[in-house]
Amino acid sequence: MEQTRAGEYDAFVAARWSVLFHLARLLTGGDRHRAEDLLQESLVKLWFVWPKVADEAPEAYVRTVLARAAARSARRRWWGERPVEELPEVAAAGDMSATVAERSRLEEALARLSPQQRAAVVLRYYQDLPDRQVAEVLGCPVGTARSHAARGVARLRGLLADVIEPVG
Amino acid sequence: MEHMKHMQERGHTDRVDGMDHFERQLTRLMHSPQEQVAFDARHRHRLHAGVRTRRRVRAARRAAGSVLAVAGLGLGLFLWPHGHTDDRPSAPHPRPAVSPAPVPSASTTTTPSPPPSTSEPPSGPPSSLTTDSAPPESTATASNAPGADGSSSTPTYGQPSATATARDTATTTPPVTATENTPAGPSDDPSSVVSPSG
Repeated sequence: MEQTRAGEYDAFVAARWSVLFHLARLLTGGDRHRAEDLLQESLVKLWFVWPKVADEAPEAYVRTVLARAAARSARRRWWGERPVEELPEVAAAGDMSATVAERSRLEEALARLSPQQRAAVVLRYYQDLPDRQVAEVLGCPVGTARSHAARGVARLRGLLADVIEPVG
Repeated sequence: MEHMKHMQERGHTDRVDGMDHFERQLTRLMHSPQEQVAFDARHRHRLHAGVRTRRRVRAARRAAGSVLAVAGLGLGLFLWPHGHTDDRPSAPHPRPAVSPAPVPSASTTTTPSPPPSTSEPPSGPPSSLTTDSAPPESTATASNAPGADGSSSTPTYGQPSATATARDTATTTPPVTATENTPAGPSDDPSSVVSPSG
């Protein structure tokens, strides 16, 4: 019984790790280490409720735990230097580097939002959730979730003005 | 309202599915190709270690809760009053009722203090017993028994003086001072009981 449970759990985590990690990274404003910690904590919580949610929507459960934990967090990303074991790879020229640069700018801009605004924006524009489900995930009224998302997008318009050029 | 006006000024009026150009581009950026992060052995070990740690924390928390619950229950039982009788003030022990006309047989069975001495002279209890409230009935039994069958038995305890007996009975049984059969009357039992039988 325990082996079956562990096997199913490991299979789910291995299959959805990359997607969930990307969500966690957006929710933390690009902080890779903190995203990993957040995802680990959420998956540990998932283990204890796995028999209940395994047949329903385990990914939705992890998403809810991730978003709420990120929205509660008052920690801001430190923009100083961070020691690393290996030097980052130099981006190759071409479209890929442009994509990486855009994503880096997006993460920097997301990191400047408040945790609630960031979570609402990510759930709304990355998870494509309507306002009602965003409110359910964050555990707040619909109007509050809509307000967080609108204020976050308004802030991102100014921060990403050079990345996303207006039409016309 | 200002938001809409601001978007119109910037030319973001081409809304599709409720999104303007910026929002669509924001969505595209978020869905942009991302690096594939594999769930490797390091992640697996760390995840399992987290599960074990959390399991230990939950077990410790549960044990601590149980200990607290037991301690609280024990403290509550310790502070709980032990019994109802201990809390009440102790009532005086029931004393035999002193009636002017006690039934001889009943009095003999209920009062053990004086032995059934049946002497004609007033067989009062010892002076030590005169302080109690029981002697009046004992004198009643002593006088009744001989009156009933007419036999005299040896008293088992010393006879007090007539005056002492008279004083004792006078204080306890006032109405039965006059007796017809016994000369030492005051210490005897009510004559109303004796006279009908004899």
